[in-house]
Amino acid sequence: MIRSHDHQPDPKLDLVFERYVDVPRELVWQAWTQPDLLKQWFCPKPWQTIDCEIDLRPGGIFRTKMRGPEGEEFNNIGCYLEAIENEKLVWTNALLPGFRPAGDVASEGCGVGPFAAVITLKTTGKGTQYKVIAMHADEANRKHHYEMGFEEGWGKAFEQLVELMKNR
Amino acid sequence: MPKQSPNLDRVFYALADPTRRAVLARLSAGPAAVTQLAEPFDMALPSFSQHLKVLENCGLIRSRKEGRVRTVELAPKPLQAAENWMVEQRGMWERRLDQLDAFVLQMKKEQKR
Repeated sequence: MIRSHDHQPDPKLDLVFERYVDVPRELVWQAWTQPDLLKQWFCPKPWQTIDCEIDLRPGGIFRTKMRGPEGEEFNNIGCYLEAIENEKLVWTNALLPGFRPAGDVASEGCGVGPFAAVITLKTTGKGTQYKVIAMHADEANRKHHYEMGFEEGWGKAFEQLVELMKNR
Repeated sequence: MPKQSPNLDRVFYALADPTRRAVLARLSAGPAAVTQLAEPFDMALPSFSQHLKVLENCGLIRSRKEGRVRTVELAPKPLQAAENWMVEQRGMWERRLDQLDAFVLQMKKEQKR
């Protein structure tokens, strides 16, 4: 069996969420992978998910259509990169179904820009410990990160600056 | 889900340099004259002024000239815009996962019935 990627979040670009919920992980998996279920929770209110398409295999489509409170609609199209039942789900909007690069289309969606989400589920006691890593490629961040050739201190420095600003 | 501000690119660019971050840190203590600001850095004044220009162009700092002295001060708004983007993203996911948790708990309840 091919070993799954070991994801190391980058504090400068990624958001990490770790949670425990008191339900078996099979249910959490279903909520993520069945369109009629996903539609019921996926969009933070008052936004709604009005349509959803899921083809659960690497390269398979993951599409959600969102509607905002003013009636504005966004279609988000991406594909799955990995799907291990009840364990791990990875998808991105940077690649279209069949792995075709999305280019600028990725940023059209709801303005979040290209990202990949990694969801891992673990049974803990009677419930599920799950972790979501949202990895961003914020152009502003990453491009300059490489161009400027600096490797460390970004996240910390930024946090410190924000702290300083808050305390003014 | 608001679009990110176009200014954000320039703010991130400006922050992506240790000299410029040091200048911002120094200015958080209060306004300073350019010559005074440049002192701790081992670079020629024109190079240092370039750094200030980058900060000023994206609105992170403001400067004003009084006689022969140019004073620089912090303008915190753009930095907040950069911070807000990540905070917004975090908030969106937090809300989404709150909804997921509530939803699967409801699923469990309904299965028991």
